[in-house]
Amino acid sequence: MSNLDLSRRQLLRVGAVSTAVSMSGWMGRLARAAEETKTKPKRSCILLWMNGGPSTIDLWDLKPGHENGGPYKEIEAAPGLKIGEYLPKLAKHGKSLAVLRGMSTKEGDHARGTYLMRTGQLPGFAGIQYPSIGSLVSKELGDPKAELPNFVSVAPQRFFAQDAFGPGFLGPVHAPLIVADNQFQAQANNVDALLKVADLDRPKAITAETSGARIDLLREMQEEFAATRPGGIAKSHAAAYDRAVRLMQSESGKVFDLTEEKAETRDKYGRNLFGQGCLLARRLVEKGVPFVEVTLGNWDTHGNNFDMVKNLCGTLDGAWAALMDDLKDRGLLETTTIVWMGEFGRTPKINQGKGRDHYPNAWSTVIAGGGIKGGQAVGKTSKDGTTVEERLTPTVDFLATVCKACGIDFEKQNMSNVGRPIRIVEKGAEAVKEVLA
Amino acid sequence: MSVRATVAALLLCAASASGAEPAPMPKPATDAADALAALIDKHLAKDWEARGIVPAERTDDAEFARRAYLDIIGRAPKAAEAREFIDSTDPKKRAKLVDQLLTMPAHANHFAAVTRQQWLPQTMNNFQLAQFGNQFEQYLRNQFRDNVPVDKTVRRILTLKMTVNAQNPMFRFVQPDQSEPDGFNVSGFYSANEGKPENVGSAASRLFLGVKLECAQCHDHPFAPYTREQFWQFAAFFAELNPLTGPRPGFVGPIKPQSDRNTIGIMGTEKRVTATFFDGKEPNWAEDRGPRIELADWLLGANNPYFAKNMANRMWAHFFGIGILDPVDEPGENNPESHPELIAELGRAFAANGYDNRFLIRALTRSKAYQLTSKMTHPGQADPRRFARMNLKGLSPAQLFDSLVSATGFREPAQVRQQAAMGFAQPNSPRGAFLNRFASNERATEANTTILQALMLMNGTFIGDQTDLEKSEVLAAIVNVPGWDTKQRVTGLFLTAFARNPTPEELEKFTSYVERGGPSGDKKKALADVFWVLLNSPEFLFNH
Repeated sequence: MSNLDLSRRQLLRVGAVSTAVSMSGWMGRLARAAEETKTKPKRSCILLWMNGGPSTIDLWDLKPGHENGGPYKEIEAAPGLKIGEYLPKLAKHGKSLAVLRGMSTKEGDHARGTYLMRTGQLPGFAGIQYPSIGSLVSKELGDPKAELPNFVSVAPQRFFAQDAFGPGFLGPVHAPLIVADNQFQAQANNVDALLKVADLDRPKAITAETSGARIDLLREMQEEFAATRPGGIAKSHAAAYDRAVRLMQSESGKVFDLTEEKAETRDKYGRNLFGQGCLLARRLVEKGVPFVEVTLGNWDTHGNNFDMVKNLCGTLDGAWAALMDDLKDRGLLETTTIVWMGEFGRTPKINQGKGRDHYPNAWSTVIAGGGIKGGQAVGKTSKDGTTVEERLTPTVDFLATVCKACGIDFEKQNMSNVGRPIRIVEKGAEAVKEVLA
Repeated sequence: MSVRATVAALLLCAASASGAEPAPMPKPATDAADALAALIDKHLAKDWEARGIVPAERTDDAEFARRAYLDIIGRAPKAAEAREFIDSTDPKKRAKLVDQLLTMPAHANHFAAVTRQQWLPQTMNNFQLAQFGNQFEQYLRNQFRDNVPVDKTVRRILTLKMTVNAQNPMFRFVQPDQSEPDGFNVSGFYSANEGKPENVGSAASRLFLGVKLECAQCHDHPFAPYTREQFWQFAAFFAELNPLTGPRPGFVGPIKPQSDRNTIGIMGTEKRVTATFFDGKEPNWAEDRGPRIELADWLLGANNPYFAKNMANRMWAHFFGIGILDPVDEPGENNPESHPELIAELGRAFAANGYDNRFLIRALTRSKAYQLTSKMTHPGQADPRRFARMNLKGLSPAQLFDSLVSATGFREPAQVRQQAAMGFAQPNSPRGAFLNRFASNERATEANTTILQALMLMNGTFIGDQTDLEKSEVLAAIVNVPGWDTKQRVTGLFLTAFARNPTPEELEKFTSYVERGGPSGDKKKALADVFWVLLNSPEFLFNH
């Protein structure tokens, strides 16, 4: 055996036992990244997305005494702010809620309305792929080196409008990390598993040791490849694997494990996908994630509207109120803006099946918490609820308001895929100043 | 077991062949494709010399084969295919491989899928438009299968006889004339553009002329000399998609030959404009020639400066990852062509050879530039627009999944495979899961990896099964081939994952890892570790 041969073998052996060394270097990098994150002032946004088009005339802008009003009564949420009777727990947080009763938007189709409300743009242009509001906000507020992803989407029902949930021209780096994707009939006993990050756990047959050895070998392959093929592709590949491994191996990945919470806390949010999703949103915001959205579906109440909305309120009220409670207790309500919206409202006129149909012309949205002057409703609809009489608010004004509340300059421009810069919210948009703190 | 035995036999048979000397260079140019390839090399070499750039080395056979397979048929070669090519001593084997790949059904499928994504991106992630994309992809597939010249393909699209029902304000129903063979599939182009003149017009300009007009829809183009009025003048060639409002033939009194088939109102204004070419000229309108026929004649005419160049540039961008004009649809002062003379010559040659896609593909792939390695050896090679080394390209989701199938031996159910060839993937199938997770609209040379993609490749069920000794196909075969030593097994894994042999250093390193049995002390499990590492490596996940 020649000396050369021996030394090569030795080198190989060194390489094989260097697992611990390279891991510690790696963890050191993580720690540094975490340090840098801490120095940044944190702002967060939680979007409660009401898939299907919520009946806002029964929730935020009731018409008691009018034939369009339906059977619901009003309750007081704050002096001068009355809301629907089936949101009693949330009403206790009335001082933090600002209701925008002047919403008037342009699309009454689920897919198109979803695209409009989530991107601020009308769909249909072949060329430009607009980012969703989550990608836009998290790009502004997020730290690219953070341990956790900057945009988490919980239980989205993207099936009919997938392009309204993506990063568009901002690229996959700003794509949401999705948990519980397209779950239309989630069972309560399955919720914990659904809310975990897909593929975060290594296969059962693979030990931590094996996993570590594989990742070390992979790292060497990545480095060799990047050494001869420098550039963005190889860097992005290594960075994504770094972040994925970080999530697998570090403590921060445990944020998705809801069993860490007390049983009564979990009960308070409601033992269903939306309720536990809101709990997850709170945990993520606590860890500094800047944008989390949680979807509650089944709002498409063409028939039997009042029973269905009452039922949905049961889910919404407890979860949202618990979220407000917890954020307040933790001192996070001032820095966390909570947005409630769907793709449109529903017809004031009640149809023959006791339902309400799609109605974008006059409806409501809600913004609460950080950056918001709560305890008020801004805008006014006519007595029958069919038209906006005061403070007409188009989609872009609403999104501009959300941005302002989160401390984002909505006139900032991003370079688009068509080679021209595009504003976060389209030119001419004006924030609804009355609701901004 | 019989399938595994067959896989093993294939691997064994291929891998037992001895390595060969590097093939000598092909003979000097003889046919038109060779001549064009030489022209490409001449232009690039001139540019490199002027800038003091030293180009990268020529690829070895393995790198070339993997690249050609991915670019032409949309998947990496299988181990046996790679081995056969590497071992061949035929001096013309590279050109022959391309010829062979061009005749495979997978070529038509891959090019149809790629073209659909470029031409109708809105159908990729919009549920309501997806079906129109599928229809149109079927049309494209037939075109590529029959190698229909691209000017004929585009003329068919532009002049399709059809009626548009615009009564429903939410959705325009496009119905092809019954006289049109394959009309249903072609009409997907119009339906995907919602049957609106402004959408179809901007798509036609962007795709067939390489001029993006969208920005000018609402205001004058910020960088290029296109006005809002020009946008609508171009859209007016498709004005007949709108309901006609003017007087009809038969109306008493003098009417224009087109009635109002060729005029359109500028959105948000009172103004109406008439269809006009970019150069400001109008056709000589005649009653029996509709505006779309006039547009097709102008756009595809021998004197049109845009079409041939644009189509050749798009093909260049497919093979080199970046166009000579890039973005491919934004000509203008701030986006100059990297090699203006070359792209002009490519366009001319493409037209002169009857817009034969396969001719152009042969020429591009025979060029020295296409056959450069992606390994950087000189700092001058860093600029991707100089083409002094091959640009690294991301894989499309379908390329990735099909390459995984080749590498792992995964047996996709026939029905799923059939549907995939039609452009549809069951959401819950492994293919559907990959297509969903890896969906991207990025430029190939700027592909990013996400956390969820990395997690799926590291921990997901598909890779988990294919790196599991019990559930895998190719891995189990390689692990269990009787009579192989560890080096042969490691070599087998490299061939199936990377379509190349390991370097001596790699062979020694991984053999030693396996001999020690990895952390588990089990050689078989250690082989699974190696396979996992290879499948997660950038060398597998990108087109180099």
